[in-house]
Amino acid sequence: MAKRIAIIEDEAAIRDNYAAAFKREGYNVDAFDAREPALSAFDSRLPDLVVIDINLRDDIEGGFELCRELRARSADLPIIFLTARDSEFDAVSGLRLGADDYLTKDISLPHLMARVAALFRRLDAMQKPQAANSSIRRGDLAIDTERMTVHWRDQAVGLTLTEFWLVHVMARYPGHVKNRQQLMDAAQAVLDDNTITSHIKRIRRKFMAIDADFNAIETVYGMGYRWLSD
Amino acid sequence: MTLKRQLLLVSLLALLLPWAGCEFIRETESALRNGQQQMLAGTARALASTMATRGNEYPPRLDLPLDSLASEQHYVHALATRPTIDGYFDDWLLDPNALSSMRGARGSIQLAMGSYGRMFYLYVDVDDLNVVYASAQTMILDDGPRYADRVSLISVDPPEPETQFVFAAEAPGAIISYRKDAFGFEPEPGISAHWQDVPGGYRLEAQIPLDLLGRNIGLVVGDTSSESERAIRSSSYSGRSPAPSVALSKSLTAAVAELAQPGMRILITDASGWRIAAGGELSAATTSESSENGWSNRIYDLLVEGGEAAESAEPDPSGRERQPYVTAAIAGREMASWFRGDDSGRAIVAVAAPVRNDGEVLGALIVQQGTDAILSLTNEGLARLINLTLIVTLLVAGALIGYASWLSRRIRHLSIAAEDALLNETLHAALPSALAVDEIGDLSRSFSNVLRQLGDYNAYLRSLASKLSHELRTPLAIVTSSLENLEHEELNTASAGYTARAREGADRLRRILSAMSEASRVEELMEHGDPESFDLRAVLASTVAAYRDVYKNREFKFETSLDKATVTGSPELLIQMLDKLADNAVDFSAPGDTIGLRLEADGSKLLLAVTNPGPPLPEKMRTQLFDSMVSVRGGENTRHLGLGLYVARLIAEGHGGSISAENVEGGVSFVIQLPAEDSR
Repeated sequence: MAKRIAIIEDEAAIRDNYAAAFKREGYNVDAFDAREPALSAFDSRLPDLVVIDINLRDDIEGGFELCRELRARSADLPIIFLTARDSEFDAVSGLRLGADDYLTKDISLPHLMARVAALFRRLDAMQKPQAANSSIRRGDLAIDTERMTVHWRDQAVGLTLTEFWLVHVMARYPGHVKNRQQLMDAAQAVLDDNTITSHIKRIRRKFMAIDADFNAIETVYGMGYRWLSD
Repeated sequence: MTLKRQLLLVSLLALLLPWAGCEFIRETESALRNGQQQMLAGTARALASTMATRGNEYPPRLDLPLDSLASEQHYVHALATRPTIDGYFDDWLLDPNALSSMRGARGSIQLAMGSYGRMFYLYVDVDDLNVVYASAQTMILDDGPRYADRVSLISVDPPEPETQFVFAAEAPGAIISYRKDAFGFEPEPGISAHWQDVPGGYRLEAQIPLDLLGRNIGLVVGDTSSESERAIRSSSYSGRSPAPSVALSKSLTAAVAELAQPGMRILITDASGWRIAAGGELSAATTSESSENGWSNRIYDLLVEGGEAAESAEPDPSGRERQPYVTAAIAGREMASWFRGDDSGRAIVAVAAPVRNDGEVLGALIVQQGTDAILSLTNEGLARLINLTLIVTLLVAGALIGYASWLSRRIRHLSIAAEDALLNETLHAALPSALAVDEIGDLSRSFSNVLRQLGDYNAYLRSLASKLSHELRTPLAIVTSSLENLEHEELNTASAGYTARAREGADRLRRILSAMSEASRVEELMEHGDPESFDLRAVLASTVAAYRDVYKNREFKFETSLDKATVTGSPELLIQMLDKLADNAVDFSAPGDTIGLRLEADGSKLLLAVTNPGPPLPEKMRTQLFDSMVSVRGGENTRHLGLGLYVARLIAEGHGGSISAENVEGGVSFVIQLPAEDSR
């Protein structure tokens, strides 16, 4: 059965374009232009994935509110923020509310589709028993490529999709420097220097929350980043 | 010119004060003098009419033109002492100007006549390089010593025939003189004379009893070059017989002496201007006062109206008064004049009135009086005025200078504060004098206003890029997503081409927007990022190695003398800054050029210079270069919005440092100054 995606976006043109793209991929799409009609529709049935804009008409933080309420209703419903707001602060706020990814509107449709597909794949993988061959081990690091989960010293590290892909591309070939283009390709996104820096910082911080001495990601100044294995 | 100097100039206007005072004093003095002149004129008129009653005392008026007559008349000076007959003039006690002169055959002839008691005195000084003495034989000839240098005094008492007194010397010294008249030629024992040789001529001094002489007197000098030649005659008169001589009138002089008041001098001249009576003395100048107030007198002389020199008020040594006011009186017109001494400032007022008898001008009466009263009054006033105005001027000038200093200090503070605000971009800071109610306060407030607006404008410019990129992101997303959807539709080749081009354009637009929002993201990162300590040297080495890979057609050279350069901050951001500078350096240099990076320590600071060969920066752009949306690139290079160096500046300043650009030989150098944590 086709997955159902809800789009909450006040800009009709974008909403329709995204809806058309999702339909083309074979998804069912529910499009809403504000929080209330979306919530009342969700009362009867939750979609399989939600794409939310933060700024909903006069409701400046409407997307955040919506995310909070949806997360309250379902812990594993994939939520993607897709917004024009590119500030670090907004990104952190959105992810803290439990969103699975925070995307700015300059993401291309194919990249968006790839992410949505990846999220659905992860959802499916979660419901199956863990496959043995889908795991990569690099010292203390364990990556489950099917479920898109990362463990450090057997503790789960809660990474977003983008962060997972970044860790994955670096850890696959430890010691190899990954430059910006390689990281961008892996993360299915257009990233500038500052965004990459922010992502790497956030990833480090998440690992350091488990292991204060974490230093497996090395910055190679002027070139990129690499994963160091012991 | 500074404000202080301008006000100093304005304060010079205070000098108008003494000028006005001087004008006042001058007016006063002139009024006083006029009063005195009028009073004196009254006196002169009264005296003149008194003197007119003694008409017979005046020499008869001759029917000759006044000047030609006067030049032939001799003035017999009244001598103060009896001269010794020795050929010297100095014991006559007369001014040398008392000598009158006539033309001689070989130079000029100076002569003077005088009287003392019943004696007439003659002094003659003849220029003659070849003095020819008489010999004993030649003395007996009928008209005197022919063929010898000689002096003859001609005396006539019309209608009597003339008498000649001949002086010729056989040798210098006392000589015998001869009398020649209708009765013959014989020595005159009543006359004593002395002939003295001097270089270039001879002098003769003679004493003749007045009884021997008539009223008309003339002088003839005979000059010969040898004993065998006739003498050339030089005569003091042009007619057949000499003109009447003039002397002081005893009775008039006595009368005048009686009439003269203290401090007043009275002179009477005949119709030719010859002085025939003199009496009274001007009071002596008060010398003690003048030396005491010498400086004020000098200023006074400079300021007040000058008269004729005081010396010219004195009776003329030649015996003939030729002052214009005297001449006017002789012509029948009463006239006043005044004189001032050089040193004392003492003024002498003089009035000449005609002496008339039966409508005929007999002569002139001159009254002179010194004006010590005026002097002391004006002097005192002047001294007070000068002191007062000096003090006032100094006070005014001092006050104005003080005021000007205060004003210019305020203005200077204001201008320094405004410049500081502009330099440090503290455009909302309060400026000095902002609360003052005067024009400087207004200036300060409008300065603040301008600066504030400039600050707002700068802030607006800074935020413009990120705001704009933010606002444009949604419509761009519409375009991009539409195009991406379109690519999935059935398109013919042409449409596919257009779509691809539209995608390209949208991509470019996206890159531009991302560059525009870079600054705000950098600011955000610096605000929220946690700074770390790192070795800038290692970071630079690694980054430069990366540049060598990226920019293959440029050489990169990294130099440092430091072993370690620890910096606190974000290495990623510093690299981003370096990326901008490297990008800039590559853009402005040519393939094959070497871009130099140099890290140095300067006290507690680290200096990082990125130098590239290339065209120099325009001087006026050097400071603006780091502002938002400022670019020196030419129009063809449109992908640059002038944000790169602005981002570089944000990063440098975010690390507590600064960035500057300067032209170096053959290129441009960007210098970043960073605080070092520790450097060796």
